Amino acid sequence: MEEKRSNSAGGVGGMALFALIGFVGALVVGWGIFPKMLYSQKTQPIRFSHTVHTQLGIECEQCHHLGPDGRFAGLPSTESCAECHGEETGDTSANGKEIDKFVKDYVKTGRQVPWLVYQYQPDNVFFSHAAHKGFECTKCHLDVAKMDTPPPYYENRLSGYSKDTMKMWECERCHASMGTSNACFVCHK
Amino acid sequence: MGLDRRAFLGLVAGGTVGAMFTPIPWKLIDDASIWTQNWPWIPRVPKGQIDYVATTSKLCPAGEGLKIMRVAGNPILAGGNPSHPLSCGGVSALARSEVYMLYSPARIKSPMKRNGKTFAPITWEQALVEMAEKLGAAKGAVASISGDNTGTINEVLTALTAKLGSAGSFMMPSEATTAAKAMKLMGAQGQAGYDFENADTVLVLGADIFETWGTSSRNRKAFGASRPAGDKPANTYVYVGPSRNNTAAVCDQWVPAAAADLGVVALGIAWHLLKAGATSNAPGFDTFKAVVNGGFGPEDVKRATGVAPETLAAIAKALASAKAPLVVTGSPFGQGLGAAPVIAGMSLNMLLGRINKPGGVYMLPELPSVVPGALTRAAMLDGDLPAFLKGVESGKTPAPKALLIYDANPVYGLPEAATMAKALEKIPFKVSFSSFMDETAALCDLVLPNSLPLERYDDVATPYGSGFCVYSLVRPIQKPICDTKTTGDVLLGLARKLSIDLKFDNFQQVIKEKVASLAKVSGGFVAKDVMPWQVAAGKPAPALVGGDLWKALEAGYAWTMVGQAPQTAMGFAAEVVAKAVKAGKPATATVLAPYAQLRTGTPVTGMPCQDLTTVPDTELLGDTTFIRVNSETAKTLGLKKGQMVKLSGAGVDCQAKVHIFESVMPGMVSAPLGFGHTAFDYYSQGKGANYLSLAAVVEEAGSGLSMWIAPEVKIA
Repeated sequence: MEEKRSNSAGGVGGMALFALIGFVGALVVGWGIFPKMLYSQKTQPIRFSHTVHTQLGIECEQCHHLGPDGRFAGLPSTESCAECHGEETGDTSANGKEIDKFVKDYVKTGRQVPWLVYQYQPDNVFFSHAAHKGFECTKCHLDVAKMDTPPPYYENRLSGYSKDTMKMWECERCHASMGTSNACFVCHK
Repeated sequence: MGLDRRAFLGLVAGGTVGAMFTPIPWKLIDDASIWTQNWPWIPRVPKGQIDYVATTSKLCPAGEGLKIMRVAGNPILAGGNPSHPLSCGGVSALARSEVYMLYSPARIKSPMKRNGKTFAPITWEQALVEMAEKLGAAKGAVASISGDNTGTINEVLTALTAKLGSAGSFMMPSEATTAAKAMKLMGAQGQAGYDFENADTVLVLGADIFETWGTSSRNRKAFGASRPAGDKPANTYVYVGPSRNNTAAVCDQWVPAAAADLGVVALGIAWHLLKAGATSNAPGFDTFKAVVNGGFGPEDVKRATGVAPETLAAIAKALASAKAPLVVTGSPFGQGLGAAPVIAGMSLNMLLGRINKPGGVYMLPELPSVVPGALTRAAMLDGDLPAFLKGVESGKTPAPKALLIYDANPVYGLPEAATMAKALEKIPFKVSFSSFMDETAALCDLVLPNSLPLERYDDVATPYGSGFCVYSLVRPIQKPICDTKTTGDVLLGLARKLSIDLKFDNFQQVIKEKVASLAKVSGGFVAKDVMPWQVAAGKPAPALVGGDLWKALEAGYAWTMVGQAPQTAMGFAAEVVAKAVKAGKPATATVLAPYAQLRTGTPVTGMPCQDLTTVPDTELLGDTTFIRVNSETAKTLGLKKGQMVKLSGAGVDCQAKVHIFESVMPGMVSAPLGFGHTAFDYYSQGKGANYLSLAAVVEEAGSGLSMWIAPEVKIA
């Protein structure tokens, strides 16, 4: 009987301790390890320095321009980049090597650079930059203009989307705060 | 304190509760739901740089300027070009399909040679050798058919045919062929062009101007621009025809009249105009007046057509009191109308003094020809293809030894399709330059696939109906997807092989020469800040800087000119009208009133796959097409809604379901065209019936022209 009581008292305490360990462990896994498991990390095929280009006075819109209907006109093509970087430089600096890599691998082969886009929206979303041109680009986008090395690209292993792709609740929250309609057809044409 | 059962349960419970305070369950649920949107078989929107390039539609006869949206260099979508005068931003269902048709399963992927009942792929060099051998042997008896009304390719085709010894160069019949015949009979020079933009009262006799007739996209834009939403319309449109079609539906008034009676209605209106004092110095006026006064009074017209005298009088009054009235005559289904109704309609324009006036009819000159020995467009339009093929079939006309067929599908697109197919069987060597395996290509010995408009250089010169001369460029915006070639290049290569000098080595050179010749035409300009209808209304035409014309055309602008061919003897051709237009008694038999729509394609394209979804269940249900009759006709014929019936005409039977539709006038059986293909792909094949095959060809009195405007059919 005594042993049983002792076990019972010790068991409850032990149980609580293990529950606490389980609780804390779950928090550690959930907040620390799970995100790293969920996303695979990738790097851009070319280490494009936005800083170098912005320091030359190039505006975002000069390369990331909009189509006539306000839709994002896509990333610059190899041809448009080649207008400035059409030939190998022979420069041995880090940036020079990247330029030569771009020329060798893409300009001379006529291939498009498979850039990793941080914020492509799902195909079922119609997003017009024309309707959002009052905002600064950095309100939604990473402020890459100040980055010499593009940030890592995190791809969700389950959904396949970039970690930075805006979620629907984010769109809805902004629309609500701006007094803009959140009706389905506003974004899902 | 080992990990006993209780400790384990505690660990699990704690872990579970802890997990609830982490993103794990919520994020997994969210991502799993997103994952279901990305299954691999779901089509993806392509990613890449988006740009827009300009070209012109060749698949649509309305000749709209297009802006093609490309992603990473691949064409994705065709839209109307706002800067082009024949588009003004509008696009037809057919022009919209320019991109989709690139991937049609019906595309012919390489040159093919007949091998028994099937085809075997051959190389282009083998095809040229074969053609050179057969055409060389057929010299003196080579015929050609073109389905392209507007291209300079016709100059290459007809020049080559002539050098080989022509047995006839023909255009597929259309509104342009009928109008050209009418103009010739009237002694007029030039192609009739209609200035809708400056007209204030428009009487439309039969022509489906907002769907299939002429420059339909531009016509719609002109109509819309004069009727801003909420404001008073700047003009009045009246439609006369057998059904409330897409044109009649938006006009201010629909006057029901059979297609066979359009000439009678026109002369009935002329009776009122003459009575009100209208006169003309043109040759034949006195005879015309006598013909009209002799049998086209209000009661005559009412007896023949059912149109009330007060209706005719009101139309005549509206035309006579308008500042810029315009009368347009055409077939409700874009073909088969005789020349006499066009002459009768044009006579109204003459009585109203509307020839070569703003808001009236401009007699447009033909653009300069560049290939030596080519037929003019007027000469090509003068040929009567149905009569020629019927003659070949019956043995009255010697069958040519060889036939070149460009962009045409006479076995499907002509009336009496069975007769036409038999005629083709009598021709020993046939070559089809088609992009798709159509009904005619399937009967040919060689099929040499033409690259599609987005893959080739081509052009569009003054489509029929345009109120001004206009020229626009078709240019390749991507490499050919299949092993196809531009037919112009193939024909020029063939000429070289046969040692025939056609002056040019490739078709792009021909187009460049054409553009260079346009730069020298006095009065021509690039429609950019000033549109041609504004020049017609009095605005000065801007100067043309010649060297920039090619660049301007590549950028999607059109060369235009407001001008007219000099007229020396344009008359009323009253003797033709007297023979062909009769105000007799109304037809007692059931008359077929076909209608055509751009969404169901053309005989050349088949039915664009994406347009199939736009066809309503009252037109095509499963694989059965509907005919439309009003309740009065249905009662007379004992027909019920949804009933399957058999239509018979010209020795052919067609199946149809009955749709009761009050927008068809009594006695008429309205039937959709564009269905009943036996060739093409699974989007077009076996869908309903080809009701055009029920139409028998008859010779129009006075003109001798083949016509099939109002065929009688039996319904059982």
